[in-house]
Amino acid sequence: MTFFTIVTRGLMRRPVRTGLTLAGISIGIAAVVALVGMAWGYEKSIGKQLDVIGIDMIVSNMGGGIMPKVFDANVEEKVASLPKIKETTSLLMQLISVEDAPMIMVSGRKWGGFTWHQLKVVEGRMIKDEHEPAVVLGRLAAEVLKKKIGDTVLLDSEELNVVGIVDGGSVVENGAIILSLAVMQRVTLNEGKVNFIDIRLQPGTDKNGVTETAAEIKKIFPEGRAVKASEVVGTSQGFRVAQAMSWSTSILAIAVGILGVMNTMLMTVFERTHEIGILLAVGWRKQRVMLMVLFESALLGLLGGILGVLLGAAGLLILETTPAIKGMLEPDLSPKLLITSVLIAVVVGLISGLYPAWRSSRLSPAVAIQS
Amino acid sequence: MAENAPSASTPSVYEARGLKKEFDGGKVAALRGVDLDVREGEFVAITGPSGCGKSTLLQLLGSLALPSEGSLKFRGRSIPDMPDPAHYRSHDIGFVFQAFHLLPTFTVLENVQIPMFEGGLTKSQRRDRAAELLESVGLGHRLTHFPSELSGGERQRVAIARGLANGPSVVLADEPTGNLDSANAEQILDLLLKLHRDRKVTLVLVTHDLGIAGLATRTIRMKDGRVVSETSPSTPSPANHP
Repeated sequence: MTFFTIVTRGLMRRPVRTGLTLAGISIGIAAVVALVGMAWGYEKSIGKQLDVIGIDMIVSNMGGGIMPKVFDANVEEKVASLPKIKETTSLLMQLISVEDAPMIMVSGRKWGGFTWHQLKVVEGRMIKDEHEPAVVLGRLAAEVLKKKIGDTVLLDSEELNVVGIVDGGSVVENGAIILSLAVMQRVTLNEGKVNFIDIRLQPGTDKNGVTETAAEIKKIFPEGRAVKASEVVGTSQGFRVAQAMSWSTSILAIAVGILGVMNTMLMTVFERTHEIGILLAVGWRKQRVMLMVLFESALLGLLGGILGVLLGAAGLLILETTPAIKGMLEPDLSPKLLITSVLIAVVVGLISGLYPAWRSSRLSPAVAIQS
Repeated sequence: MAENAPSASTPSVYEARGLKKEFDGGKVAALRGVDLDVREGEFVAITGPSGCGKSTLLQLLGSLALPSEGSLKFRGRSIPDMPDPAHYRSHDIGFVFQAFHLLPTFTVLENVQIPMFEGGLTKSQRRDRAAELLESVGLGHRLTHFPSELSGGERQRVAIARGLANGPSVVLADEPTGNLDSANAEQILDLLLKLHRDRKVTLVLVTHDLGIAGLATRTIRMKDGRVVSETSPSTPSPANHP
């Protein structure tokens, strides 16, 4: 018999209560995994999209909301004239409800811009010219909208032909409706407006070069902001709100978990006052009794954490297939998230065990043994 | 027993002077000034009516509770001032209780190993020593049983084996036969006497049974929280003549 045997035996005394506590903590951890996994997944998906297209910097007016505000398309020309800039293109993107899909990315791209280059037609054809009233659908978008070649998509009040299905190399691209900027501007009544300028820098542009370019862009376009592609998600207001919401919900779930485990451990200590009295009477040090209670609650946390991670991962995989999420993001189920979640659960267990452990160490052996 | 009686020159294991124990902020006085000496190798019986303070005295000797007043020493060291009372409880003394106080969710073998966690032994050393102790109390065939599967006498033998886990030189027994029928009581008493005789263990036994007390080197009689008489082989009393 080892000390660990004693710890596990303590938890097995009341299997139903231990099971319910495990269920409580695992639901909390599952919420952490699902919510944070979505937020991180969103960040990763956008990052991957920018990487696939080869975007170094993005200019936008991140005034608020999920998508940036529109601005004059002629800003692009001024930006393109800066010395360290190799290539630019502009876009008008909106995250809107299209037919049955609750939220879908509609991406109007400047005809001939580099954002078209990585798109591979897997079915049908590419749009012929910038004025063709047609769209190509990312593979996931086609699935979500249940559209095939020859169907139409209703964008605002105009029906556009679906002429092709494309693979864009990332979940965000594959989840989008793609059309020419000119058609997008006309359909959404945003003539002469864009809300993104994507930039490719001259090869060999260093960190200072990026900072200088950003400062120069600020002069040309004071209400806008140029950010490095790697930082674009972090600076998005919408993403920040989503991340704050996911963490605050997670913290709430964790707090509920802490109270659940603490309640169980306190009950355990109260119920086992007599046993703790025996342990003290036969010579156990108070620290050992405390350690026993702490290990029990940490073990509850660990088991709840593992269970929660499995539950959260399963939940995320299911969520990924729902129409609301499909094509929007690729949930992040990285080892970092899973290990962090289990560690959080263990810390939850330890924190929950502190007070019960302290209570147990305060017991007088003579009184406890007679209880 | 009487023929083994240590002389007055034998060093003291316990020395209590003016020992008092009060509860409820002084409203209840369990001990009202007890003087006591227990010498190495003695078998001291403490007797008296219920509520006379004998179990409280044993709790103080075992450092399960602290005295309210007076001095109490174990081999010259003040028990209330011990920096590590747990070490004293686990290594210097073995406690045997009337209600056995075994842990119900642990097997017999595991119960005996519990105090050994403070002894620095390895897992296999703990197991072997516990099995050996249980063998010595005649329970070698019951190692994997749970306390609920044993008779009262067997449970008390497990408790005695547990009390000996770390090889103490003193055994404090609080009415060890109080919950047993006469046949089992006799077996437990024989076992404790054997320990006292063979292992030279100092035995302090609380009992209200004068027959058991009569087997002791010395009998201390208490009443209302005070020692009222002491009987040794040199001062025979009816209780010394079974």
